[in-house]
Amino acid sequence: MAAPLVLVVLAAVTVRAALYRSSLAGFIAERVEVASPLNAWKRVVEGLALLDLGVSPYSGAIFHETPLIIYLFHFLIEYAELVFMITDVLTAVALYLAIQDFNKVVFKKQKLLIELDKYAPDVAELIQTPMEMHYIPLKVALFYLLNPYTVMSCVAKSTCAINNSVIAFFILATIKGSAFLSAVFLALATYQSLYPLTLFAPALLYLLQRQFIPVKLKSKSFWLYTVQYASLYLCSLVVIICLSFFLLNSWDFIPSVYGFILSVPDLTPNIGLFWYFFAEMFEHFSLFFVCVFQINVFFYTIPLAIKLKEHPVFFMFVQLAIISIFKSYPTVGDVALYMAFLPVWSHLYRFLRNIFILSCVLIFCSFLFPVLWHLWIYAGSANSNFYYAITLTFNIGQILLISDYFYAFLRREYYLTHGLHLTRQDGTEAMLVLK
Amino acid sequence: FQDQAEQFFRSGHTNNWAVLVCTSRFWFNYRHVANTLSVYRSVKRLGIPDSHIVLMLADDMACNPRNPKPATVFSHKNMELNVYGDDVEVDYRSYEVTVENFLRVLTGRIPPSTPRSKRLLSDDRSNILIYMTGHGGNGFLKFQDSEEITNVELADAFEQMWQKRRYNELLFIIDTCQGASMYERFYSPNIMALASSQVGEDSLSHQPDLGIGVHLMDRYTFYVLEFLEEIHPASQTNMNDLFQVCPKSLCVSTPGHRTDLFQRDPQNVLITDFFGSVRKVEITTETVSLDPDVAGFESKFPEEELATEPLKYAEQLPVAQIIHQKPKQKDWHPPGGFILGLWALIIMVFFKTYGIKHMKHVF
Repeated sequence: MAAPLVLVVLAAVTVRAALYRSSLAGFIAERVEVASPLNAWKRVVEGLALLDLGVSPYSGAIFHETPLIIYLFHFLIEYAELVFMITDVLTAVALYLAIQDFNKVVFKKQKLLIELDKYAPDVAELIQTPMEMHYIPLKVALFYLLNPYTVMSCVAKSTCAINNSVIAFFILATIKGSAFLSAVFLALATYQSLYPLTLFAPALLYLLQRQFIPVKLKSKSFWLYTVQYASLYLCSLVVIICLSFFLLNSWDFIPSVYGFILSVPDLTPNIGLFWYFFAEMFEHFSLFFVCVFQINVFFYTIPLAIKLKEHPVFFMFVQLAIISIFKSYPTVGDVALYMAFLPVWSHLYRFLRNIFILSCVLIFCSFLFPVLWHLWIYAGSANSNFYYAITLTFNIGQILLISDYFYAFLRREYYLTHGLHLTRQDGTEAMLVLK
Repeated sequence: FQDQAEQFFRSGHTNNWAVLVCTSRFWFNYRHVANTLSVYRSVKRLGIPDSHIVLMLADDMACNPRNPKPATVFSHKNMELNVYGDDVEVDYRSYEVTVENFLRVLTGRIPPSTPRSKRLLSDDRSNILIYMTGHGGNGFLKFQDSEEITNVELADAFEQMWQKRRYNELLFIIDTCQGASMYERFYSPNIMALASSQVGEDSLSHQPDLGIGVHLMDRYTFYVLEFLEEIHPASQTNMNDLFQVCPKSLCVSTPGHRTDLFQRDPQNVLITDFFGSVRKVEITTETVSLDPDVAGFESKFPEEELATEPLKYAEQLPVAQIIHQKPKQKDWHPPGGFILGLWALIIMVFFKTYGIKHMKHVF
């Protein structure tokens, strides 16, 4: 399977290199959907220039990257394009390997459940076969590399690509079963943008599953493992933060990075939900609403953990999607990451109800973003409401996509255990409804 | 006739200007606008034309929706005197009345696009009346509820005016609380200042009108207006009478004045020297020959020193050297401790994951 992957990688690199050389690179780099105040390349360059002039890059409100990014780009700034292309390739390869391993796990688990007779007799068509699962890792790599969102994000040199790559390595480490590496990568991802904290729960659930520790609140081994993993994670996070202190000998980066992510002071329009609300809000309400919006991101972890206890990787997918919808400065790079996982659940296609409408919504909104931006900012014949409407529609499309997949997944699980032809007590055909 | 001709130059000014500033906005500061308009009215009546008056009103009381008698601003209760009239020309209105604009008017540092009516085009033979009213404190005057001008700034502005020869003599009247603090810092010559209250005292307002619902005037300006109503262009009333206006019994605060910077004796200074624009015109059929030395004009410039060789520009400033010199880039390097720590961590993680037995493959 290496050869097709190499071909895909080559194709992706060619596309990116071609775009770098064209005049579109400058145009894409300025688009607000691709570059947010958190991860714009312009700001990285500005921060490094400030450092060369002897000023701390965190002294203004321009630079919101972590010190490790400063260190990385201090030496690699001339090769920035190469760095981002390599990052994308690494992400794709990591996802490829992760999904390969995951497929093996899924297949093993399926075999176990069939032998234990846990499945209903008439669900033969729902069982995944190795044949159809063979090409899924390649499709995942393909989806990630050739997704227009990823390509734009790479051409704009947004550091979202680096964040995606760290999360991809985290997923790889988790699926391979190494708690230590997964804690380290999760700490790195959290250190860069705060929200991957919520991925702690699915990773923990997956690792528990792998160690065959049942998730029961009374079980001692459960708590022991949880504490181990949590302490690994927290220790690595603390070590990384303390190490960053030594880069510039100041704690300035904490309010600049985490304070910025949490308190959302910059209201540049982006594809998220925060900017419009806070632009029109009165000062004395803004603290309350910032808290509400931020809780919204973290809020779904516990209910999803309870519901998707047995399926942590799907939980991770849903959690990634929730992060990229509800985070304070989302960009299309974040969207691209969870969309790369869609081929993994391609067997759910028959249960998806709104997929046509949703894909239309997402595609149309992606095209309408630059149109309405131009109308608002340059032509002056629209206003921020138009752009926010498209943002809202895009996010609604994403949310409906996720809930559609969620519903399809649960439905398939239900059918697997209860059989495809559900009948009510009096023998007529029954319908499964998500309440 | 020589004497009479010399009398022409007695006061030294040939034109009059007035800068009248009201710095407060909002309906309840009606009285400040009324104060300014009363002085405006007197000054116009006594002859200064609108082209020589810079009137700055921070808010519009006449057309304020709360004004029960629109298009009027009264100064006496029972609406006896409408100081707004038919013929008011406001030069700086509403939000244009700022400290910056006021100082620009005084010093003349105005952008070229400013219309003539907004400029103080005075010269070194102008007598300028500057009247300011509003809310003030010890050393400052509040503009528009959001900024202040300090007495130091004002003194410096007057000094700029003096150095640019923008006035011959200046009369500064201020009607605010602790107004005397505003003239404490003046240091330029030929300035006479009056204030409605001393430092530590408040200037009080005069009467409310129950029909309009606000206080119409401040006490000091009310009595100054009453005093000015009796002046006509030919009156010989002098400044000492103006100093007596509004004693403590009527004003409650103690008005103050400052004449130490003024060269003439206030006894000899006519009210119309500042409040009016009295043209000195005397018609005679006889010829008067003016002695060129009558004004005692002396050459103020010392003899020029021997002209040295003019310095070339390049010698004074090594331009070529500067523009071709690139700034030395002080590169920032991450501290050694950080790099060491980071790579130590990475190596530790690597070996923890892959086991220590790989060490021998590395070395």
